[in-house]
Amino acid sequence: MQQKNRLWHYLRLPVVSLVLFSLVLTACVAPAAPATGSTNTTAEATAAPVAAGEAASREDTLIFAADLTDLISLDPAVAYEFGGIQAEGSFYETLVSFDAGDPEIKPLLAESWDVKDSGDLWTLTFKLNPKATFASGKPVTAEDVVYSWSRAIDLNKSPAFLLIDVGQVTKENLKAVDAQTFEVKLPKAVSPQVFLSVISFTIAAVVEKAVVEANKGDDMGSTWLNDNSAGSGPYVLDKWDRSVGITLKANENYWGTPPLMKQVIMQNTSELANLQAAIETGDADIVQDLGAEQAATLKDNPDVDLVVGQSTSLTYIGMNATKAPLDNVDVREAIRYAINYDDIISLLKGSAQLVQEIIPIGFLGHTGNNPFKQDITKAKELLAKAGVAEGTEIEFIVPVGTAAGGIEWSTLAAKIQNDVEQIGLKLNIKQVQQSELLKIYRAQEGQMVFINWGPDFPDPDGNVTPFANYEAKSLAWRNAWNSPDAIALSKQAAAEQDPAKRTELYKQLTELVQHTGPYVLLYQPTRTFGVRKNITGFTYDAVDTPSISFWLIGKK
Amino acid sequence: MLRFILRRIVGLFFVMIGVSVITFFLAQVVPVDPALVALGQNAREAQITAYRHEMGLDRPAVVQYISYVSHLVQGDLGKSIRTRRAVALDLRDFFPATLELSFAALVVSICLGIPLGMLAALRRNSLTDALARLVALVGGSMPIFYVGLLLLGLFYRQLRWLPGPGRLDATIHPPTAITGLYVLDSLLTGNWPVLQNSFAHLILPSLTLGIFSTAVLLRMTRSAVLEVLQQDYVRTAHAKGLRAELVIWRHVLKNAMTPVLTTIGITFGSLLSGAVLTETIFNWPGLGRYATTSVTSLDFPAVMGVTLVAAVLYPLVNMLVDISYHLIDPRVRTN
Repeated sequence: MQQKNRLWHYLRLPVVSLVLFSLVLTACVAPAAPATGSTNTTAEATAAPVAAGEAASREDTLIFAADLTDLISLDPAVAYEFGGIQAEGSFYETLVSFDAGDPEIKPLLAESWDVKDSGDLWTLTFKLNPKATFASGKPVTAEDVVYSWSRAIDLNKSPAFLLIDVGQVTKENLKAVDAQTFEVKLPKAVSPQVFLSVISFTIAAVVEKAVVEANKGDDMGSTWLNDNSAGSGPYVLDKWDRSVGITLKANENYWGTPPLMKQVIMQNTSELANLQAAIETGDADIVQDLGAEQAATLKDNPDVDLVVGQSTSLTYIGMNATKAPLDNVDVREAIRYAINYDDIISLLKGSAQLVQEIIPIGFLGHTGNNPFKQDITKAKELLAKAGVAEGTEIEFIVPVGTAAGGIEWSTLAAKIQNDVEQIGLKLNIKQVQQSELLKIYRAQEGQMVFINWGPDFPDPDGNVTPFANYEAKSLAWRNAWNSPDAIALSKQAAAEQDPAKRTELYKQLTELVQHTGPYVLLYQPTRTFGVRKNITGFTYDAVDTPSISFWLIGKK
Repeated sequence: MLRFILRRIVGLFFVMIGVSVITFFLAQVVPVDPALVALGQNAREAQITAYRHEMGLDRPAVVQYISYVSHLVQGDLGKSIRTRRAVALDLRDFFPATLELSFAALVVSICLGIPLGMLAALRRNSLTDALARLVALVGGSMPIFYVGLLLLGLFYRQLRWLPGPGRLDATIHPPTAITGLYVLDSLLTGNWPVLQNSFAHLILPSLTLGIFSTAVLLRMTRSAVLEVLQQDYVRTAHAKGLRAELVIWRHVLKNAMTPVLTTIGITFGSLLSGAVLTETIFNWPGLGRYATTSVTSLDFPAVMGVTLVAAVLYPLVNMLVDISYHLIDPRVRTN
């Protein structure tokens, strides 16, 4: 008896722990069983009683999965990254906006506006929509607009240059004429056209003065606005879980057409395989930025549609116009004729479109004209004319990692190296971190660099000034390309009010940069979305802020 | 005992200083400007200058380091360059996920590795032994990302028995935060649906992360038990006529546990730091992913924060292991 007890004494710990472990194992398989049903059919999930901790049913929830790693702020005066702008664009509204797929400015908080030439300044007067209210129920007033813009200027974070530098807005030139009338004065150097595009962006979004002031803390409410919203948009911020994603809740007081979904969850998913799995299983309703491989697999999936959206960025090669042999315009042209563009586009497997001009597809002034096709004989003639010796070496600086369109920078660079070798130039590829490349490039020290550019605001000027105007100290400057003609044309086009004349000016400028400029423009990447078949109203328009209008998306 | 712990804590302090110096000056060697990474190529010069000033990057490295350390002493880990938030806040958001995952993986490997290792040793050269050794071989040599993808593909995408990546289903709100470990918090607050969901989400990643340490523990246990079985005192015990079960539980296993404990300590440290891949595959919002993003954006206060957490945890776990030696092995006490 005694011995039996002692045996139990020594055995009980392992025995008990084994029993516990197996209990735990059974317990964890058991709750998984009902999960099977709910992932298969959404109807079943909603029929089940709403579990504690579940805010809205799955049927009333839109789940949008994307890589949101770049998310750092939900304050419209601070955020300048995709994730932040996409979320904020649903919380806050701007005076004017774009409709998806239409490059014409439309009213939003402002029901009308007019532009007056008042001598040495432009005067823009906006009449606010009297129906517009904040989520709190209070009306949106001109005072709120003045406050929001002044706040953005005072905070002076990443996107503030759009108001300060591009719009040259000063706080003194903002005025609330009456509750419904807002007035801003701009210097003559600023094009009112460009300015209207600029203020469709979240930096010019209107926050509710009383609410932000009440929570301003020591940073004008920036920290508070990361966890709360104070806007007039169709959704309000429910919760930002830094490690997981953002939950948006329908604004019950919304003054416009109410949003279709009660809740939108923006989920941070960075792995391509996880995005694919999420859309296949229906765990997500929309996934953003599928790779070519995932898109190919999902093509025949009966539950998923693939939607290709146009980005606004351009992938190009910059050639420093002061570094021999690239200082010779014929050598730059020869390189443009040496490249086999068709091969590059096919390498990108449908995730990019050929664009050989500085204004991207979707913008006013895009010509759709691609004059370059590989022509080795012509390229060699140009090189001979320039007197460049066979085997001349050029340093080609290439970023590490993946280029827009989902292909390694190095793969594209090797292809270009191979093409250019055929005309007798030797490219020495040097791979560096993108940030290191930028440091070299910004110091005008790159001989030839491979990089991507996205405009700061949805107007052709957002690309033309950086690419063509040396004085802007942007891309033309980085490539040391100082062309008085290009500078004059870019200024003239930005200021032109008549769209037809403006288009004509951009056409001239496009051709000038195409043949004499320091760039080889290669492609405009596209982004592929996976969308469940039961989702309605999804569109992606990079020109519009936000690019995806969550409030128009519903479920069948 | 107390002196021993105190000595360890003082040691810990020096480890932290060493780690912070090395990490800090390594970050200075990298030829890249964190402000450029944060602001991108469209940024104007004025913005970059303002940003560098705001983050204190325009001061000499030594000044930056001294200011960093003086804040650190007051428990302030500084402000992240990328997220512009206090690093301590970021760590509070990301660390519990890693801790929960590592704990779960440790439980998996202890519950599987030790019993299997014991069985294998006690029935040496039997079929059980062969199977256990096969498990150890496969578990030890399969790459984590492969195991993870395999498990996800099978149990989530094909069979739909278990939920997919993440700590919870998207529509489920996390439990009230007490420890930040979802399973524990939902248990403490009695939130059963969240408990079920978080537990189900934890199974695949913890198996994935735990499989390698299971193999290590299995092998360690097996060889430790085999070694003790050869000892004179075991033979003596048998000769005394002690029942076989008693010999095994009382003499063999207890003595074999010392090296196994050491291994558990080391394993836990490596679980914490090795969770990066598992976190990536399972979209697990943990410290590993935070660290990766911070490193690629050269966010040195964040990298320092992560490194310091690791630098504190690793010796801490080892200290706990040392203390437990004292408790289970009288020979350590007399020494």
